[in-house]
Amino acid sequence: MKKSKGLLLAAFVTLAGLYSCDSIDCTLENTVVMLCNIYQDGKTVQINDTLTITAQDSVVLLNRKTGASALKLSLSYFQPVDTLVLSVAGTDYTFTDTVWIEKTSYSHFESPDCPVNMFHHITDVRSTHVFIDSISITQPDVNFAAHENLQIHMYPSAD
Amino acid sequence: MKIFRFICILLLISLVSPNVWGQNKKNAPKEKAPLLSGIGVGVDLCGLAMKGVGARFANMEICGRVGLKEKFFPIFEMGIGDCTRNGGETTNVFSTRAPYWRIGMDYNVNKKLNGNRFLVGFRYGFSRYNYDFSAPDFEDPVYGVSSPLELEGLKGNNQWLELCIGFETRLWSIVRLGYNIRYKTRTLQSVSELGEPYFVPGFGKNDSNTFGGTVYVTFDIGKSASLKGGKGLFGKRKKKEENTNTETETPPEETAPRAAKRRGGGG
Repeated sequence: MKKSKGLLLAAFVTLAGLYSCDSIDCTLENTVVMLCNIYQDGKTVQINDTLTITAQDSVVLLNRKTGASALKLSLSYFQPVDTLVLSVAGTDYTFTDTVWIEKTSYSHFESPDCPVNMFHHITDVRSTHVFIDSISITQPDVNFAAHENLQIHMYPSAD
Repeated sequence: MKIFRFICILLLISLVSPNVWGQNKKNAPKEKAPLLSGIGVGVDLCGLAMKGVGARFANMEICGRVGLKEKFFPIFEMGIGDCTRNGGETTNVFSTRAPYWRIGMDYNVNKKLNGNRFLVGFRYGFSRYNYDFSAPDFEDPVYGVSSPLELEGLKGNNQWLELCIGFETRLWSIVRLGYNIRYKTRTLQSVSELGEPYFVPGFGKNDSNTFGGTVYVTFDIGKSASLKGGKGLFGKRKKKEENTNTETETPPEETAPRAAKRRGGGG
């Protein structure tokens, strides 16, 4: 009889333990950025001049970066079109192009304990053509996966 | 890992317990269980207790089963899974409440008809549910714009398989108490692309596999309830049997002529 009572008590304790176990499993790779690579003559290149990227409302996404070849840019959560101004500044010159990125955004959650993220689906990209020749979309979905989303092609080199 | 070890120890104790396997072979009754040995309905105390103490989630369920030859127990379980979970370090809230169903069968390993059952079995569970998620402080960290996030009525559909192992004993009359521990593994999940549910009704915290358990009070109606059993959990049954034995061992009361004959020294 004592053993039966002991077993039942052990069962209650076990079940309580099972239900009380909890852990927070948030994704470690939880950064959502759009990855853009810069191409010239079909190859990735570095921009040796100073590159500054500003978005709407004077939000600076990239400030005076030199040697940039891959850009990781955050997209806005709530606006359907992001307007990015890319300025390349040399010793005595400055070139500026504007890029418009049309997208749809949708929230993504994992657990109440984890911060909510916003994923994006790029629908269209267009730009001015001062130093940018063309922009192509390679992967429209912007999420946790760190893959190339856009290819920014600069005008071919003179030589 | 510690939980798994504890479960193994618990099951080992259950296996070696004399209450499970009968008192001994010599005294074991050689009864034969009928094909339809009984019908039982039960309620899970664990889920009700969790709901009562305000746990983050609870599965409140009832079950119905049929006993076949006191060996096989086809079982049907249904219940309501309820969860409201606030983020520990966020203001996010997840909530769902939906029904779920399970069908399966238990097998009684105990060969003796002593009122105790050591059950192993399986269940197949399924649930269709809606879930809500809200994030009142949802903010764009780069652009500084905030907008409360309210996602309601996201649809989910889960199916899963459970392997069960448990012990059950008779408390008194038709009332039985038992527990089981379940290993659950997900076989199908269809959820919103906006995010997976934190909790799946009937399954528990959403993952590819998890552990769970129930503590059932069951009311068994039919021949299984009247089968000759061992001692009850609280000893009442044993006491009754002892009284019966005492009665049978007491010599019959002497009749008046026979007593007179004995007093007379046989003369």
